[in-house]
Amino acid sequence: MTETDDGNAFGYAPEIWRLFRNAPNAGAFPDGTPGVVSAEAGTPAARSVLRLALRFDGARVIDGRFQAYGCPASIAVGAWIAGWASGRHVDDLRLLKAAHLREALEIPEDRAHCALLGEDALRAVLSRYQEHQA
Amino acid sequence: MIYLDYAATTPIDEAVFDAMLPYLKPDGLHGNPASTHGPGFKARAAVETARQQVAALIGAEASEIIWTSGATESNNLAIKGALEFRGFPKNGKPVHIVTSKTEHKCVLDTCRQLETLGARVSYLKPDGQGRMTPEAVLAAITPDTVLVSLMWVNNEIGTVNDIEQLAPRLRERGVMLHVDAAQAAGKLAIDLKTVAVDLLSLSAHKLYGPKGVGALYVRRKPRARLSPQMHGGGHEQGMRSGTLATHQVVGMGAACALAAARFDADVAHWRGLRDALWARLQTIPGVLRNGPTDGDRAAPHLLNLSFPGVEGESLRASLGGIAVSSGSACSSATAEPSYVLRALGRDDETANASLRFSFGRRTTAAEIEQVADTVIAQVAWLRELSPLPRNG
Repeated sequence: MTETDDGNAFGYAPEIWRLFRNAPNAGAFPDGTPGVVSAEAGTPAARSVLRLALRFDGARVIDGRFQAYGCPASIAVGAWIAGWASGRHVDDLRLLKAAHLREALEIPEDRAHCALLGEDALRAVLSRYQEHQA
Repeated sequence: MIYLDYAATTPIDEAVFDAMLPYLKPDGLHGNPASTHGPGFKARAAVETARQQVAALIGAEASEIIWTSGATESNNLAIKGALEFRGFPKNGKPVHIVTSKTEHKCVLDTCRQLETLGARVSYLKPDGQGRMTPEAVLAAITPDTVLVSLMWVNNEIGTVNDIEQLAPRLRERGVMLHVDAAQAAGKLAIDLKTVAVDLLSLSAHKLYGPKGVGALYVRRKPRARLSPQMHGGGHEQGMRSGTLATHQVVGMGAACALAAARFDADVAHWRGLRDALWARLQTIPGVLRNGPTDGDRAAPHLLNLSFPGVEGESLRASLGGIAVSSGSACSSATAEPSYVLRALGRDDETANASLRFSFGRRTTAAEIEQVADTVIAQVAWLRELSPLPRNG
C-alpha cells in the first residue's frame, strides 16, 4: 500500500475512502420531522453500529441520513445507503443486498460484515416502515 | 507526514551515518574484525571504540558489551543463555523465571518457549500505571527462581520500573536480573556501576543508530554466565559467534556517544513536547492517559492516550497524515488489541481506540500543535458521527 495525497495512508478502496472522509448525509433529522423512519443494526463481533434514517413521502424516500460507529467501511456503507435511497421507491429498497454494497464500495472479503451491517440496517428501516403502514 | 513514532524506530542520525559510511566502502576499512592483518586490525579497532562508546552510555566496562543483531536477540540470549548455563533443561532441576505481562513480545515468547521445555514462569500483572513494584517482584520469588526479566521502560506506555531499588534486593537473594533497556537507553540516566543489573539488552535503532544491531551487557563482577545461542567461531567471548558487522557496530557506537553527549538536551526536548501535546489533548472530553503521569516515573519520549467513544480503526485512518502507533487490532499482525493496555485494565474497545505518540530530536513544537489540532478535530468528528451515547 502506498500513501496517497488525500491522506489514505492505509489504502482503503477509493469509494470507501471518499465516503468515509466526506460522510455525505451524516447526522439525523431534527426531532419531529414528518415521514422519518429510523432503525439501527449492529455487528457484535466487530462492534459496529449503523443507524439509518429515511424520510418517506408515501412509498418514496425523499432524503436519507446515517450515523455510524465502526471502521471506515462501516461509515462508508452508511453514507452510501443514505444517498442511494434518496428518490427510490420502497420496492427498490428491498432489492439491495450486501453483495451490491460490496461491489459498489469494493468491500473486501474480510470486511463483508460491513456490507451485511448496511443490509441489516436497511431491512430494519423497511420493517419499521411496514409497521407504520399497517 | 508528521512522524511521531520514534519509539518504534528512529532515523539514523547524520553524524552516525557519516561514521558508518567509511566501513561500507571498498577502500581498506572492509576487513574482518577477527582477521590478524592490517585491514582486520583497523576494523577491530573501530569495533572496540564502538564497544567503549556503548559501555560509556550505561556505565559499564567495554568488556561487558556483547554485540548482537538487536534487542530481540539480546533478550533471547540473556534469558535462554542464563537458564542453559545452569543446566536447564538437561539436568532436570526445576527452574522459575519471574517477568511481567507487559514485557515486549520477544521476552514473553522466549519465556513461553522455555515453558514448553519445562521452566515455570510467573507473568506478573503490573499496577494501574503499568509499574512492577520491587515488592511485587520479590513476593513472586521462590527457591527455584533463577532469573527475573523486567523492562526498564515500557515501550507502549512509557512506565519506568524501579530497577534501582529492585536490583540489590535480587542480588541479596542470588537471583539474576535481566533488564530490557531498549526504550530506556538515552532516555534515562543508566549507571550500571551503581545498579546491580546482571544482563541488559540494548538496541541501536531506538536511539538514532542503524537497524540490525544491538548489544547485551553481561556483568563481569560478579560474573553473569551465559551459554551461547549462536555457535561458530567463538566470537564475543564465545557468547555470540558470527563475523561482526563493522559498519553496524560503528553506527551503534556513534549513536550511543551522541545520545550521551545530547542526553540533557534530548530529555528536556522530549519532555517539553510530551507535556505540550498532553496539555492540548487533555481538553478532549473523556480522554484517558495510559501509564504514569508523574515526571520521574514516566519516560520523557512518549505519550499513550485512549479516546473512548471513537472506533480505533477509523481514528487511525482519519489521522493518515500522522505516523503514530495505534492500539488498534487492525494495526498489528496478531489482530488483537494491545495486551499491554488490556493488562492495565482497559477493555478491548478502549485499547483499540488508543494512540502512542513518541517524540524525536527533529520533532518541532509546530508539529505538536498541528497534531493536536488534527486529533482534536478528528475525535470530535468521529464522535459526532456516532449513534452511541456520548462519552465524557
